[in-house]
Amino acid sequence: MKQTDPVVRFEHISMQFPGVLANDDISLDIMPGEVFALIGENGAGKSTLMNILYGIHAPTSGQVWIKGRRVEEFDPRNVIEQGVGMVHQHFMLVPSFTVAQNIVMSKEPRKHRIFFDNAAAETAVRKLEEDYGLTVPESVPVEDISVGMQQRVEILKALYRGAEILILDEPTAVLTPQETEELFTVIRGIVREKGMTVIIITHKLDEVMAISDRVGVMRKGKLVGIHETVDVNQQILASLMVGRPVLFDELERTGEAGELALTVEKLRVRDHRGLEAVRDLSLEVRAGEILGIAAIEGNGQSELIEAITGLMPVQSGRVTVLGKDVTGQDPGEIREAGLAHVPEDRLATGLSGAATVAENLLVGKQREKRFNRWGFHQDQTAVRAYAEEVYGRYDIRGAGVEALAGDMSGGNMQKVVIAREFSFDSPVLIISQPTRGVDVGAIEFIHSRIMEKRNQGAAILLSSADLDEVFRLSDRILTIYEGQATGCFRAGEITKEEIGLYMTGSKRLGGKEA
Amino acid sequence: MRQKINTKYLISLLVSIFLAFLVGAVILLGTGHSPLTAYGAMVEGAFSSLRHVGDVLEYAMVLAICGLACDLGSRVGIFNVGGEGQLLIGAIVAAQIGVSLNGTTAWLVIPLAALGAIVSAGLYAMIPGVLKVKLKVNEVITTIMLNTVAASLCQFMAKGPWKSANKTMVSATENLNVRYWFDGLIPGSNLSTAIFAAAIIAFLVWYIMQKTTQGFEMKLTGQNPRFARFSGMRIDRKIIVCMVISGAMCGLVGMFRVYGSEHLFKPSVSNDYYFEGLMVAMIARYQPLATILLSLFFAVLKVGAEGLQQVGVPNQIYLIIQTVVIFFMAAQSGFLECLSVRLQKRKAAGADAHSGSAPREKGGEKV
Amino acid sequence: MSEFEKIMSSIFSYGTLQQMLRSATPVALAAIGGSMTEHAGIMNIGMDGMILMGAFFGVLGSFLFHTALAGVGMAIVMGVLVGLFFALLVVRYKSDEFIIGCALNTFAIGLTSYLSRSYFGTSGTKGNPALPMLRLAFLDKIPVLRIFNNQSLFVYLTWIIVIAAWIFVYKTPYGFWLRASGEKPDTLRTAGISPKRMKWIASILCGVLCALAGAHLSLGQLSGTFAENMSNSRGFIAFACVIFAAANPAKAYIAALMFGFFEAIGLRLQGYVSSDLTNTIPYIITIVMMVWVVVRKQAKKRAAKQET
Repeated sequence: MKQTDPVVRFEHISMQFPGVLANDDISLDIMPGEVFALIGENGAGKSTLMNILYGIHAPTSGQVWIKGRRVEEFDPRNVIEQGVGMVHQHFMLVPSFTVAQNIVMSKEPRKHRIFFDNAAAETAVRKLEEDYGLTVPESVPVEDISVGMQQRVEILKALYRGAEILILDEPTAVLTPQETEELFTVIRGIVREKGMTVIIITHKLDEVMAISDRVGVMRKGKLVGIHETVDVNQQILASLMVGRPVLFDELERTGEAGELALTVEKLRVRDHRGLEAVRDLSLEVRAGEILGIAAIEGNGQSELIEAITGLMPVQSGRVTVLGKDVTGQDPGEIREAGLAHVPEDRLATGLSGAATVAENLLVGKQREKRFNRWGFHQDQTAVRAYAEEVYGRYDIRGAGVEALAGDMSGGNMQKVVIAREFSFDSPVLIISQPTRGVDVGAIEFIHSRIMEKRNQGAAILLSSADLDEVFRLSDRILTIYEGQATGCFRAGEITKEEIGLYMTGSKRLGGKEA
Repeated sequence: MRQKINTKYLISLLVSIFLAFLVGAVILLGTGHSPLTAYGAMVEGAFSSLRHVGDVLEYAMVLAICGLACDLGSRVGIFNVGGEGQLLIGAIVAAQIGVSLNGTTAWLVIPLAALGAIVSAGLYAMIPGVLKVKLKVNEVITTIMLNTVAASLCQFMAKGPWKSANKTMVSATENLNVRYWFDGLIPGSNLSTAIFAAAIIAFLVWYIMQKTTQGFEMKLTGQNPRFARFSGMRIDRKIIVCMVISGAMCGLVGMFRVYGSEHLFKPSVSNDYYFEGLMVAMIARYQPLATILLSLFFAVLKVGAEGLQQVGVPNQIYLIIQTVVIFFMAAQSGFLECLSVRLQKRKAAGADAHSGSAPREKGGEKV
Repeated sequence: MSEFEKIMSSIFSYGTLQQMLRSATPVALAAIGGSMTEHAGIMNIGMDGMILMGAFFGVLGSFLFHTALAGVGMAIVMGVLVGLFFALLVVRYKSDEFIIGCALNTFAIGLTSYLSRSYFGTSGTKGNPALPMLRLAFLDKIPVLRIFNNQSLFVYLTWIIVIAAWIFVYKTPYGFWLRASGEKPDTLRTAGISPKRMKWIASILCGVLCALAGAHLSLGQLSGTFAENMSNSRGFIAFACVIFAAANPAKAYIAALMFGFFEAIGLRLQGYVSSDLTNTIPYIITIVMMVWVVVRKQAKKRAAKQET
C-alpha cells in the first residue's frame, strides 16, 4: 500500500463549552479519497469536531492541519478556500432563494461587476449538475423542493465552492430510504471519479457498513476507536457506541406484572417536518413492569412518546391510560388520567431554568390545597417545606431549593425532574433518557428509584439510547426500527448483540404486538 | 430580557442614571445652560410646593399602572405595546358613559364608567392576544397598528358623535358633571382620589404576580411555554386572559385621567404615557415593585422638568435623560459581554501566543 | 351633479392625487429604509424618531448655512450617525431592537424639541431656505401628468431611490446577502460572510433614508418649517408599509401611496366622511394582510401534508 499524507489531521483537539467538554483530546487522520464515517450517540461530540474542521468553532486546544497546512484562523471563509465543504444537519439554505441562488451564494457570478447574474448562475449550476450527475431544479425556490433535493443543493453548493473534502453531518436523518440510496450513489461517484474525500457523521450503522472505508467511534467527547469498515460489523459498532464501562450490580425486582395500565394501538405520528415517524405501532405496559424501548436515535421513539403524552398530535390509532381513552387529549388531561412523564430533553421540556428548584419541584402540584390557600394564595412556607423535603429525599445536590434550576449540573437537574414526576405517584410512568448527561453516581440513584417505582406497582415505559440501561432496567424490551416495532423480548431471553439486529431492521419478528 | 433584580442590576442602574445625567449636562452646557442650575431647578420643580408633589404622584400613578400592565403581559411572554390605544378607548368610553348618564347618582355612574373602560379596553386588547395565540401573528406589530386605529377612532368620536357643544374644543367630549369628578387631594394639582384605586390595583397586580398560584403559573408560561404545556397548564388561555387584564388596566388609567384630572375626553388625556410606562417597565426588568419605584423616579424627573422653564431651559431635557438611561440599561449586558470577550482575548493572546485561539462568538444571532 | 358623483369626482380629482403623492413621499422614503432593516431581520420601530431627527437637522442645517442643500447634507450626516448608533446597540450589544426603537422615538422627540427651543424658541421655526419645487407651466396642460407639477424635487428623487433600492435588494449580490442575513444568518456565516456586517449596513441605510424622509418633510413639503413632533407617527405608517409590502421596496412605495391616498381623500371628503375614519383603513388592511398571510401559509402546509 502506498503511504500518502493525510488530507486532514486533527492533533489533540479539545473543545470546552460552558459545562461540557465536547471534544476530549482527539487525534485523527483522514486520508485522501476515502469515505470516513464518524459515529456516536447524540452529544458524543461528532458535530463539534466537524464544526472545528469547518472553522465554525476554534478548539480550546489542539491543532488542525488541512492538506499539510496548519489552520491558523478558524473561520469558514478561510477553510472553504482550502477546499473544505460541509453539509450541515440543518440545511444552510435560504428558503426564499432559488436553488441556483443558494448554490452560488458568496461567489456569485456578476454582470457589470455589481449586478447578480442569474442566468450565469443557472448555467454554472447546470454545468455542475452535468459534471457530478446530480440534477436539481435550478430556478425553483428552495422552500418548494423536497428535503432530499435540498440536500443535493447543499452538496452542489459545497462543490461549487471548490470543495475537495466534503463533510456530511447526519445526511440521512431526513431522507427516505430511496433518497438515502441515491445519496450514496452520489457519494461513491464523487469519491471514485473526482477523488474527493468524504467524512460522514451518522448513527445509522447499516449506512456505515454500506458507504464507508473506515469508521471512527466517538463516545462522550472521546474517540474510542478507529477501524477499517471491513473489519467490523454492526453489532461491534453498536457495543462500541453505547457501551458503558462501569458495571452495576443487579437491581432487586419484586412482584409480578399486574393489570394492563397503558396500551397503544396502531399509532401513527408525523414528525415536525410532516414525515411519518411512527407507523402502526402497538404496545402494552402492565402495572409492575418496565417495558424498555431499544432503538437507535431517530427511529420514531421520541415521537411515539410525545404522542402518548399529548405533546404531539396523533394521526391515527389509540392511546389508553388505565382503561381511559386519552388519544389526542392535551397533556394536562392525560396527566389527570394517571400518567407522569420524564421527558428526554430536560432543559427544553422538563423544567424552567429561570425558575428556582423549589418552583420546579412544585409544578403540577401548585393547585393542591396545601400549597394553594383559599384557591389563590400560594403558601410559600408550605412550598419551601415540601421542596426541602423532596430535595433531601431525592438526594439533590446544589445551592439549595432557592437556587435557579438552570444553574445546576445536568445530573441534579435530572434529579429535580425525576423527583417531581415521581412525586405524583401516577400509576403510569413514561421515562425518556433518564440518565443522559448524568454522572455515574446519579445514574445508580436514578436507576434504583425507577426500580423502586416498578416494585411498587407502577407501569413504566422506558426509552433510552443507552442499551445497557435498557437491559438493566427492563422486564421486556421492544425494538423499534423506522417507526415500526421489530420485536419484543423478555429480558434475559436475548443478548445485546442479537438485539442489535432488530434495532437495525435486519431482523424482525412476525407479530409486531408488544 | 427577564433577568433578576440583583446587586449587579442596581449598580448598572445607578451608573446608567448617573451617566444619563452626565449626557444631559453635556447637552445643557452645549446649549449654554449651567447643568447645576438646571438640575437644581428640577429638584425644586418637583418638590417646591405641595401642588408639584401632587402632580408627581399623579404621573407616577399613570406610569406605574401602565408599566404594571406591561409587566403582566410580559410575565406570560406577550408584549403589549398597544396600551396607548387601550388607554384612549377606556378613557373615551368612560367619559361618554359619564356624559350620557348625566344626572344619575355618582354611585351608579362611576362603577359603570370603570366597567365600561375595563370591558372596552380589555376587548380591544383581546384582538392581538387571540391573533397571537391562535395564529402566531406578531403581537408587537398588531398592537402598534391598533394604537393608531384607536387614536383615530377616538378622534373621530370626539369630533363627531360625542363632540362637545363647546365650539372652542375641536375634538373633545362634553365636560363631566362635577358630581362625578374624583375629589382632588391637593388643590391645584392633578392628584385625585383615583390614586387610591390605583394603589389597590398596583397592590393586586403585585400580589397576583408574586404571591398567588395563578401568578406562579403565569411566570412559568412566560419562562418556558413548552414546559408549562408539558406540565398540564392551559397556556393559550392564560396568555389571552393576561392580555385582556393588561388592556383593562390601561383602560382604567384612561378613566382615571378623565375622572381625576381632565374631566372630559380629549386626545391629550394621554401623551404617549403608555410608552413611557412601558419603558419604565423595561428598565425595571418587568418586576412589579421595581416598576412602581422607578415610576416614582421618572415622575419626579418629568414634573421637575417643568421647573426648568423658570430658568429658561426647555423641559424636554427630561426625555433625553430618560431615554439615555434606557439606552444604557438595554446595552449594558451586551456591552459587558463584549468587554469580557475582549479581555479574555487579550488574556489568551498574552498568555499563549502560540495556540492563541480565543473562543469565537457562537450562534445567538437575533432574527 | 348627484351627491355620489360629487364625492367620486372629488376623490379622483387631480388635487387628491397630487396630495397623495405629496404625503406618500416621506412615508415611502422611510419605508424603503425600513425594508432594509426588515430584510436584515431587525424589527425597526424607531423610524419615527429617525424621521424626526432628519426633519430637525435638515432645518437646522438650512438655518445655519442659509441653503437647503446644506440642510439635506446635515440630515444625511445625522442619519448615518443615528443608523450607526442603532446598529451599535442592536447588532453589537444585542439589545432588544424593540426597546431601542421605542426609546429612540422618545429620544428624538426630546432632543429635537429641546434643541429647537434652544435655537428657535417654543414655536419652532419657519421660512428657512427650502428645497426647490418643480414648476413647469406646460405640465399643467397635460392631463394626467399634471399631478406631477408643483411637487418637491424629493418626489422625483424618491422614484430613483425606490428603483435603486429594488435593484439593490433583488438584483445585486449584496441584496442577496442582506436578505440572507435576516432570513437565515447561519447560511451567510457558513458561506464566510458576516451577517452582522449586513445588519450594520442596513441600519445605516435606514438611518439615511429616514433622515431624507424627515428632510423632505421639513424642507420640501413644509418649506423650511420645523414644528415639535412633526413626524406625527409617519414612522409607524412607514412601518406598516414595510409589513404590508413584506419589505419589498417597490411594494412599500405602493403601500405608501395607498396610505397617502386615504389621507388625501380624508382631507377631501371632510364634509362626508371623517378623515379620522379613512385614516384607520390602511392599518386595518395591514392587520388583515398579516392574518391572511398566516392563514394562507397554514393552508399551504396542510395541503403539503396531505400530499405526502
